[in-house]
Amino acid sequence: MDNSIWISILGFLATVVLAFTVGVFYGGFVRKITARIQNRVGPPVYQNFFDIIKLYSKKTAVHHGWMQHLGPAFAITASVTSLMFIPVLNGQGWIWFENLNFKGDLIFLIYMMVFGSLGMALGAGQTGNPHSAIGVSRGLSQMVGYEIPWVLALVAIMMQAHTTSITGLLDYQNANNTWMMFESPLAFVAALMAMLGMFHYAPFDVPFAPAELASGPGSEFGGKYLALMMTSGSIFAFVKLVLIVDIFMGGASNLIMLVVKTFLLYMIPVLYGIVSPRYRTEQSIRYFWGWPTFIGILGVLYVVFIR
Amino acid sequence: MNSLFLIILILMGGAVLAYIAKKVNPMLSSIVSFISIASAAAVFFLMTDRESVILHIGGFELQWGLNAYSWVFGAMVISMATFASLYSIAYMKGKDRLGYFNLNFTLSVAAMMGILFSMDWISFFIFWEIMTWSSFLIIVYNGISEGKIGIKYMIFSAIGGYSMLMAMVITKSQIDSFLIADLISSFSSMSLGLQALIGVLFLIAFSVKSAVMPLHVWAPRAYADSPMSYTSIFSGLLSKMGVFGLGIMLISVFSKTTNGNIFVYSEVLAWLGAITGVIATFYAIIQTDAKRLLAYSSVAQLGYIVVGLAIGTKLSVMAAIFMAIMHAIFKGTLFMAVGAVEKQTGTTDMTKLGALIRKMPWTFVASLMSIIALAGIPPLGGFVGKWMLYESMITSDHYFLIIMTFLSSTAAFLYSYRFLFGIFLGQEEKEFENVKEAPAIMVIPMIILAGSLFFFGVFPGYIFEPIANGMEYLGMGQVDWNMTVLSNGWGNHVDTLSIVNSILTIFGIAFIFLGLKNRKKTRYVTTKDIHTGGEIPTENENLTYAVDFYKPFERAIEPAMKRKMDFYYNKFGEGIETLFDFVRRLYTGNGQTYALYVVIFLVILLIFSEQIFF
Repeated sequence: MDNSIWISILGFLATVVLAFTVGVFYGGFVRKITARIQNRVGPPVYQNFFDIIKLYSKKTAVHHGWMQHLGPAFAITASVTSLMFIPVLNGQGWIWFENLNFKGDLIFLIYMMVFGSLGMALGAGQTGNPHSAIGVSRGLSQMVGYEIPWVLALVAIMMQAHTTSITGLLDYQNANNTWMMFESPLAFVAALMAMLGMFHYAPFDVPFAPAELASGPGSEFGGKYLALMMTSGSIFAFVKLVLIVDIFMGGASNLIMLVVKTFLLYMIPVLYGIVSPRYRTEQSIRYFWGWPTFIGILGVLYVVFIR
Repeated sequence: MNSLFLIILILMGGAVLAYIAKKVNPMLSSIVSFISIASAAAVFFLMTDRESVILHIGGFELQWGLNAYSWVFGAMVISMATFASLYSIAYMKGKDRLGYFNLNFTLSVAAMMGILFSMDWISFFIFWEIMTWSSFLIIVYNGISEGKIGIKYMIFSAIGGYSMLMAMVITKSQIDSFLIADLISSFSSMSLGLQALIGVLFLIAFSVKSAVMPLHVWAPRAYADSPMSYTSIFSGLLSKMGVFGLGIMLISVFSKTTNGNIFVYSEVLAWLGAITGVIATFYAIIQTDAKRLLAYSSVAQLGYIVVGLAIGTKLSVMAAIFMAIMHAIFKGTLFMAVGAVEKQTGTTDMTKLGALIRKMPWTFVASLMSIIALAGIPPLGGFVGKWMLYESMITSDHYFLIIMTFLSSTAAFLYSYRFLFGIFLGQEEKEFENVKEAPAIMVIPMIILAGSLFFFGVFPGYIFEPIANGMEYLGMGQVDWNMTVLSNGWGNHVDTLSIVNSILTIFGIAFIFLGLKNRKKTRYVTTKDIHTGGEIPTENENLTYAVDFYKPFERAIEPAMKRKMDFYYNKFGEGIETLFDFVRRLYTGNGQTYALYVVIFLVILLIFSEQIFF
C-alpha cells in the first residue's frame, strides 16, 4: 500500500487525539477555575478524562428509537469532520496535521459546524423529553442570534484577504507578517462577541440551563451516548478555538504556541460566563443583533471603504 | 413527427383521456395521467433532434424549439412531474372529481413544457395562461376558502399576465417580431426608456410566478391548500417557470442595455429576493401547519434563487439554476411527505402530530434527507447551491446581501427542525397509535428523489454540465465546472468527494459503535419513560412541547412581524374603494344633476376650447 495513506490515517488519528486531549483538559481547567472563583476546591484537572472513560465503560439499558442512537453519531461526525478541514498548525508539523485542510473553506465550515447540533437535536427530539425540545428550540433560536455577527466578521476578513479558505487566510497573515485581529480589529471584536454565544457559557447558556431544563437536549443521554457527546463537545471546543486562532491570530507554528493562544482565547467566554447570570432567550438573541452586529457592520464597512 | 410536437400532443391528449377515463374508473384516470407524463418524459430524454417546428395558426407563426437552456428546465419539469404523478395515483385514490384534477394536472405539465419550447412570445403567453388557469382550477379543488385564495392567486396572475402581454405588444410594435431571439438581439438598439419599460413589465410578470416580494402574497395559501401531489409540482416546478423567464431577461436581455452590463433593476431585484427570503423564513418559523410552513419556505427559497439570478455573475447564475433544480427535488419530496402524513393521519397540524418516525420510517428518511438539503448542510445537494451562492456574493462584493441571505438560511434551521420534530419526533400520541406507513407507490418516488439529492450533492457535475451549456446558450460564455470540485472566483475550492468520504467514514464508525452495537443490547421504552426530575408522569399527562415552539424567537423578531404585506394591499384596496365611492356619488340618479354635468362640461369646453382644439 502507498505510504501516504498510512501517513494520512496516522495524521487523522494524531489530530483527533490531540484535539480530544486538549479539549478535555480545557474542560477540566474550566471546572477548576470556576470552583476557585466560587471559593471551592474543585475537581482535579484530569477529572473529565476519568468521567469520559467511566462513561464509555457503562452499559445502556433503554432507548427511544433509531434517532437517539444516531444523534451522538451525527455530533461526533460533525466535530471530527470540521477538525479535518482546519489547519491545526502552520509551518512545521504540516504532514501530520494536514488532513483535508485544502479541500474545504470557511463557508463550508460554517455549515459543517451546524450539522452536529442539528443531528444532536434530532436525537434529542426522539426521546420525547419536553426539556430536550425546549432546549433545542432555545439553542437554535440563539444560533440565529450569534451567527449574524460571526458571519459579518468572517465576511470582513474574507473580503480583506480576498480568499475564503482558511489556509489562504493563514498565508495572508504570514505573508504580511501581521495578525488579522490587528488588521481588522472591529471584525475581531464582533467575532469575539459571537464566540461568547458559540461556547454556550453564561449568560448564553440558555439551551442547557441546568437549573430549569435539566441540561436540555442531553437529558435523555447517558452512558456511552453521554461519553460520545462529551468527546464530541471537547473536540468541538478545540475546533472553534483553533479556527479563531487560525483566522484572527495568525495560527500557531508549534503546539505550545497553539495551547497558549487557544487557552487565552478560551478564557474570554469562561471568565465572562462565571460572573454572569443567564439571559432569557429573546434577550440573548437581541443582544447579538445589537452591538455585535453593529460592530460587525462597521467592520465590513471598514474593510470595504478604508482599507 | 417532430418530438417537441409529440410531447405536447401526448400531454394534451393524456389530459383529455384522463378526463374521459374517469367515467370508466377513477383510478384509471390517474394512471392514464401518469402514463402520458411518463411517456412524454421518455420521448423527451430519448430525443436527439432539437430542430424547431413552425405552426401556422390564425395568421400567426408559432415557433417551437428546444435550446440548451430550456433543456435544463425541461428535464427538471418532466422528470419531477413523472414522480409527482406516480405519487398522485395513490395520494388521490378515493377522492372525488379525479377527472377534473387529472385533466388540470396533466394540462399544467403540458403548459410548462410548452412554455419551455416556445421561441416566440405568442405561444409563450398562451401556454403561460394555460398554466395559470389549470393551476387556479386545482387551487380551488379542495374548496378551502377558495374565494379568498383563488381570487388572490387570480388577481396576481392577472397582474403578471397583463404585464407580460403589454411588454409583448410594445416589443412587437417596436421590432415587428414576436420572437424571443429578436427581442434579445434588438434590445440594445431601443431607447433607454423603452428598455426600462419592457424590462420592468417582464420582471413583474415573472416575479409574480416566482413569488418575489411584494408580489408573493398569493403563494403561501395557494401552495398549502392545493392537493399535495399537485403542490409538489406547483411549488417545485410552476414557480420555476418564473425563474426560467427571469433567467432569460436578466442574463440575455439586460446585459444588452445601453448603460452597460450593470442593470440597476438587478440590484433592486437581488435585494427584493433577499428580503423575501428573510420575511418568508420568519413566517415559516411561526407556522403551526406543516403545509403552510413548507409553503412559506418555498417562497423563501425562491428568494435565494432570484438573488442568484439577479447578481448575474457566472457562479451566481450557476448557483441559482442549481438551487432551482435542487429546490424542485427537495420541496417536491417534502410536500409529498406531508401529503403521505396527511393521508395516513388526516392532519398536518404540527401541534397535534408527533412521533410518527416509528410508524412511517421511510417517509421520515425521505423528509430528513430533503430537510438536510433544504438547510444547506453538506454533503447533500442543497449545500452545493448555497455554497456557490455565498461565494458568488462575496467575490462580487455583495457583502450586505450575504448577511441577509445568511440570516434567512440560518433561521431556516429553525423551521427545518420544527418540521421534523413536529411530525416525526417528540411525544407519542395515543391518537396516532395505529398509523401505518404510506403505500409503496407513494414512498418510492419520495425515496428515489431523496436519494438523488445525495447523489447530486456528491457529483454535482452531472447537473453542472447541462447548466453550463444552457448558460453558454444565454451568452455567458464558457463556464467552467468540475464533477466534484466547486470553486469560486478567488480560486478557493471545496471538494465534495473528500467531504462525503470524511463524513461517511466517521459516521460509519460512530454508527457501528453506537447504533448497531447498542441497539441489540438496549430495549425500547416509550416516550413516557423519561427523565422528569423524579416525578412519574401518569398515563394521561401531556408532555408534548409543540405549541408556541419558537416563542422566544417570535418575541425577538416581533418588530419585523407587525405588518403583513396583505395589510398594505388591503389598505391600497380600501383607498381605491374610497376613490370609487367618490366616483359613485357623482351618479345621484337625479336627472337634474346629470343636466348640470352636461352644462358644466359645455362651459369647460367653451372656456378651454382654444387650448384643447388648437
